[in-house]
Amino acid sequence: MLYLIELWESVRDFIAAGGDVLYVVALALFLMWVLMIERYWYLSSVFPKLRDEIISNWDARSDTTSWYAHRIRDTWISQASDGLSARMLLIKTLVAMCPLIGLLGTVTGMIGVFETMATQGTSNPRLMAAGISMATIPTMAGMVAALSGVFFSSRLEAKVKMAKVKLIDSLPHH
Amino acid sequence: MKTVFKSILAAVSIALVASTAQAAGSLEELLQEVKKNRVSEARINKQREAEFQSARADKQALVRKAQAALKAEKNRGDDLQKQFSDNEVKLAEKEVELTQATGTLGEMFGVVRQASAEAYGQISTSIVSAEFPGRGAFLKRMSEESKGLPNIKELEDLWFALQTEMTESGQVSRFTTEVVSLDGGSQQQEVVRIGTFNLVGEQGYLVYDDQNEKVQPLGRQPDSHLLSSAQEMRAATSGLIPFYADPSSGAILGLLKEKATMMERYHAGGTVGYVITVMLAIGLLIGLYKIVTLTIVSGKISSQVKNIENPSSGNPLGRILTVYRENKSADVETLELKLDEAILRELPKIDSGINVIKIFAAMAPLLGLLGTVLGMILTFQQITLFGTGDPKLMAGSISMALVTTAQGIIAALPLLLTHSIVSGRSKSIVHILDEQTAGIVAAHAESEKV
Repeated sequence: MLYLIELWESVRDFIAAGGDVLYVVALALFLMWVLMIERYWYLSSVFPKLRDEIISNWDARSDTTSWYAHRIRDTWISQASDGLSARMLLIKTLVAMCPLIGLLGTVTGMIGVFETMATQGTSNPRLMAAGISMATIPTMAGMVAALSGVFFSSRLEAKVKMAKVKLIDSLPHH
Repeated sequence: MKTVFKSILAAVSIALVASTAQAAGSLEELLQEVKKNRVSEARINKQREAEFQSARADKQALVRKAQAALKAEKNRGDDLQKQFSDNEVKLAEKEVELTQATGTLGEMFGVVRQASAEAYGQISTSIVSAEFPGRGAFLKRMSEESKGLPNIKELEDLWFALQTEMTESGQVSRFTTEVVSLDGGSQQQEVVRIGTFNLVGEQGYLVYDDQNEKVQPLGRQPDSHLLSSAQEMRAATSGLIPFYADPSSGAILGLLKEKATMMERYHAGGTVGYVITVMLAIGLLIGLYKIVTLTIVSGKISSQVKNIENPSSGNPLGRILTVYRENKSADVETLELKLDEAILRELPKIDSGINVIKIFAAMAPLLGLLGTVLGMILTFQQITLFGTGDPKLMAGSISMALVTTAQGIIAALPLLLTHSIVSGRSKSIVHILDEQTAGIVAAHAESEKV
């Protein structure tokens, strides 16, 4: 319990030093991970059932070579791939947004530094240091958030592609 | 002497007149006359001489008297001289005696002066003086007075002044005073003083101007939640009230005035900032419009999928199905061509506008960069004109340069998000039309055959 309190304190210190932009980074990171976990869950538990259903439907068909059969097969593949790649674009966008949010933090922090300079002059580096930490911490946080997303989202994309190709391979023309 | 001469002259003239008048015949008479005159003349002279003699004696007496007076005055002068030098010695003795008697009390005077100078600095600027005006004057006089020892009353007054400040710093008090408003007028109002920290009035936090001994509202009030706590404090009569106090007695609140508001920062971006704002607004409006229309279209399509028998012309899928119904009897290749044609007709409408959002999302940070460059050009122009001596001058336009960058990014973030949502929706509709319509038609045809 004490450990948790200490952890929470350190998080609060971090946010206090980094400014409000960190909340936006945290929101983007949270959204990104929720969506990615949902995708992993879909890939591991929902999609296999759907795939098996499609394969058994296809195997049950007597006619698999006519134009009609091809169109129906294409439709099933398209539906499955729609389900697979849903929200992938949103995840990729969020990953791309994280460094941008970090940059926003940099800029607002620098505005703070220059505002301090405009009102107090350059005589006190301690006053400016607060603005500089507000400039650098969100950048770092944005980078870390983006890095954590880049790896997993590209893994996810590869998995989606693999699942789709496997599905196509499992629907042979008899 | 003059009178003697005159009288002689008169006698001669009379003699001459007589001689001419009476001629030589009366010479005897003349002689008699002259003799007679001479006798009287001598007698007068004698008398005069006597007079002179007596006057001389008088004058001598006067001289003697004056000499005596002079002597007396000289004596008196000597006496006074002696007395003066005696007094001088006595004074020196007394001086020594005084310093001996004062002893450590002399130091006390220095301490009192120092203490009252310190207390003046503290008390004249303290907001407690708004409630008890006129405390500063006495302390100022006392700190500046360099002669004489402070008397008991003055010492007591200093004590009371310090004690009042100390006691009042721990109290919340309510009093009515004149508040000078920022537009120049003034009004009487009830003011709450929290220790020596803050004054709260109708307009929120007040400051005490110690130069003019006036209470006036803070030029810019703090955030609304701070302000509402202050008003709660003002309205409350008892109990514990949470309150945002300025522990620096107004210095931090004073700094607040120099901080730019969000609106001021926004306007610092200038023309570039306005262009970015317009782009953000247009992009978001297009995004909103697309989200609404695409949601309606996909809803119609999904209800059409369930009801393939009756194609309606109100949705893209329905129109494609109508094409199928019209060409039911045609061979497969013709049917596919007809379907593709119908699909191609539908796609532009669904895709339209989405690229505009993407372009805006890409342009906004670029425009922000443009603003940065413009701001830096301004900064360097100022350096050319005024040199680098004043960092405040440069900092102004540098912060302007940064504001546009921030605006560009702030505009880009929602536009990017909107674009990804809108294009995800349009893609799923396009997939249904492009890849699945033929399948839906084929499945329908198969079911009809059976």
